[in-house]
Parts: sequence; C-alpha cells; structure tokens
Amino acid sequence: MDNPLSIEPLFHIGPVPITQPVVVTWAIMLALGVFSFVATRHLRIIPTKTQTVLELFVSTIEGQVRDVMNGDPKPYRALIGTIFLFILVANWSSLIPGIEPPTAHIETDAALALIVFVAILWFGIGTRGIKGYLATFAEPTWVMIPLNIVEQITRTFSLIVRLFGNVMSGVFVISIVLSLAGLFVPIPLMALDLLTGAVQAYIFAILATVFIGAAVAETPSPKPQEDISQ
Amino acid sequence: MTIDWWTLGLQTVNVLILLWLLARFLFRPVAKIIAERQAAAHAALDEAEAAKVAAETARAEAEAAKQAVLSERAEKIAEVRKDAEVEKQRLMAELQAELDKARVQAKEDLARQSKAQEEALSEQAGVLAGDIAERLLARLPKEARIAGFIDGLVEAVGALPESTRTGIGLNGPVPLRAAQMPTEAEIAQLRDGLGKILGRAVEIEVTEAPELIAGLELDTATAIVRNHFRADLDRITAEVRKHD
Repeated sequence: MDNPLSIEPLFHIGPVPITQPVVVTWAIMLALGVFSFVATRHLRIIPTKTQTVLELFVSTIEGQVRDVMNGDPKPYRALIGTIFLFILVANWSSLIPGIEPPTAHIETDAALALIVFVAILWFGIGTRGIKGYLATFAEPTWVMIPLNIVEQITRTFSLIVRLFGNVMSGVFVISIVLSLAGLFVPIPLMALDLLTGAVQAYIFAILATVFIGAAVAETPSPKPQEDISQ
Repeated sequence: MTIDWWTLGLQTVNVLILLWLLARFLFRPVAKIIAERQAAAHAALDEAEAAKVAAETARAEAEAAKQAVLSERAEKIAEVRKDAEVEKQRLMAELQAELDKARVQAKEDLARQSKAQEEALSEQAGVLAGDIAERLLARLPKEARIAGFIDGLVEAVGALPESTRTGIGLNGPVPLRAAQMPTEAEIAQLRDGLGKILGRAVEIEVTEAPELIAGLELDTATAIVRNHFRADLDRITAEVRKHD
C-alpha cells in the first residue's frame, strides 16, 4: 500500500509535476463545468426536473448563507456553493474504482483552506476597510490581538486537518479492509464514507460561511454611557 | 509527510477556475431564473391584486347600481300603489255613486211597481167587489134595483143648490139612466118625488144602463146626480186608494 501522506507525480508538464489529485480535479472541473453549461442552457420560468434540482441546490445554499450571515447571500453564493459542490463530488469520486479523492491529499484541502482564508480577508477588508478589519483583532481588548491572530491561522489549519483526516482515513480504512477481506466486505464502509464525505463537505462549507460571516459582521455599537454623576 | 507545493498551487488555481466556471455557468443563471420567476410571480400577484381590486370595484359599482335599481323600483312601486289607491278611491266613489243611484232608481222602481201593483190590486178589488155586489144583487128581486133608489135620488136632488135645482127639466125631459128599465109605477113615483122637490112637474127620459148595477143616475145640463152601486163602488175604491 502506498503511503497516503505521500504523493507521486503522474507526469510532468515542463517542470510542473502533475499528480493524481490534480488530474482528478481537472476531471471534476470538466464534469461540473460541462454539466453546468448543459443544464443551464435552456432555463425556463416553468422548470424541468433537472432545473428544479439545480434551483433547489442554489436556493438551499443561499438559505444557509442567509441564515448564518443574516445578510444578502449573493456575494458569497458562488464561493460557498463551489466549495461545497467540489468537496462533495471529490469525496464521492472514491466510488469510481481506482480513483482516489483529491481531498484525501492535504494539498487539495490546503488549497481550499487557503482560498477560504483569502476570502475571509477579502470580504472582511472589503466590508470594513483595512483599519476596520484590523481593529477586529483588538476585540474585545488589545490584549486579545495575539490570540486572535493565532485563531485566524489555527482555524484555517483546522479546516485542512479536519477534511484531510476524515477523507484520508476513510480511504485508508477502505483500502486496508479491501486488501484483507473480499470484494463486497468494504461496501458498508464505502456507504459510511459517502455519508462522511457529504457531512464533511457541509461542515467545510458552513465553517467557511461562519468565518466569512464573522469577518463581515457588523460590530455592535457600544451603548451610550449614562451620566452617573448625579 | 511532505507537501507538494506544485500540487497545492495547481489545486488552488483549479478551485479558483472551478469557482469562476460554476459562478458563470451555474449559480448566476440559476439565481437569475429564480429571480425572474419571483419577479413574474410578484407581477402575477400584483396583476391578480389589481384584478381583485378592479373586481371589487366593479362589484361595488354593481351593488350600488343594484341598490339604485331597487330604490327606483321601490319608488315606482310606491308611486304605482299611490296611483292605484287614488284610482281605486275614484272607482269606489264612482261605484258608490252608481250604487246609490241604482239603489234610488230601484227604490223608485220598486215604489212605482208597488204602487202599480196596489193600483192593479185595488182595481181588481173594485172589480171583484163589483162582481160580488152584482152577484149578491142578482139574488135580489129586479124591482129592488130601482125602487130602493128612488127616494135617495129625490133627496139628493133636493140637496142641490136652488139655482142648480131650478135648471133641471126646464129645457125638456130629464135624462135618467137606470140599471134596468123601471116599471111605470116606479117612473110615476120618481116623477112625483121630483115634482115635489122641484115644485113643478117634470118629464123623464129613461135610458137603460146595466153598468150601474143597481140604482139611478140623473144627467142634466147643470148637474149629474148619481144614486147607484157603480158610483158607490167607485167612491169606495177611491177612498181605499186615498187611505193607502
């Protein structure tokens, strides 16, 4: 069995090594892109079944973002929806024999977490301005600045590790069971892996929403101090 | 554990490209069509609301028109009833007048018929009385139909005024109508009686008149003296009518 923590290039494009997660990601991108293009070519006011599913998906994403952020979900819809959809499809790609999910490799999870980290900065600064955003690190007091900075980094790493650990462990366990037992023995574990993959996609997307929402949330204005000199 | 930075970078770029792809081909069109449907639904709702308002307005107008028609109908009915009442009163008055007139007419006709009937009855009674008297007298001897009336006739002539009495028998025989031809003795008795009353002798010209039933009638130029049953019956009948 290969070391799940190591990755070998399949081929090189110039100096750039192309690994299996990248190839699988390209396949996922191609599939999602083509599907989206085909499915949304003839959208109508009276929807088809496929259009209804797509609208349900988009509406659910918007509803989740709206519930978490208490605001207009439009600026974050594509980011959160793409993260959820990509992680879900990537996790479930393990159903295809011989395909290892890209999210089982830390580089992919790190890329996703990096994008979320940048999105937090982007939306936070875009909403509050640089000074306003930096001021959030001094809340509730300036003493919390180091801890808030560490929190920004650690929660990004927590995203990485959570997703990587769950998916990688699932793939690893199935591989071990498959190597030890027969062909059909890992099926329950694969079904569990599907559930885990969906839950992890949801958790990653919701946490990204929460972090971005915390960055753009309005700071409650301090109550006017009452005159107590009387 | 090592991290392949190339893979990290490629995956970051891949996810960003996928983000652009899905935003361009999935989320934006689907959100757009949802917004269009919501807009269409709102437009339909607004249109339905406008139609509802229009329908409510039309209904209110129809209701007002209905009330106006009902009010006008009620007014016309009241007016017609009033006219009918006036016409009824007029017809009733006319009818009452006609009834009164007919009643009066009927009363007059009834009185007239009653009077005519009474007259007919009286006449019948007179005729019947005449018949009865005639039948009764028929049982008397024929001499009694003249002899019994001679003295009465003489007394009646004697009761006439002097001037009238004087003119009797001056210009010829005294016309005398008798129920039957009197006997010579009866004529002589009559001539004697009249001679005593008038103070001179008079001639008598007798004419038979059975309609007198019994008795005599002296018919002169100055006076008519009746002493017979027909005259008595006529007088009685006249008296009865007068009392009725």
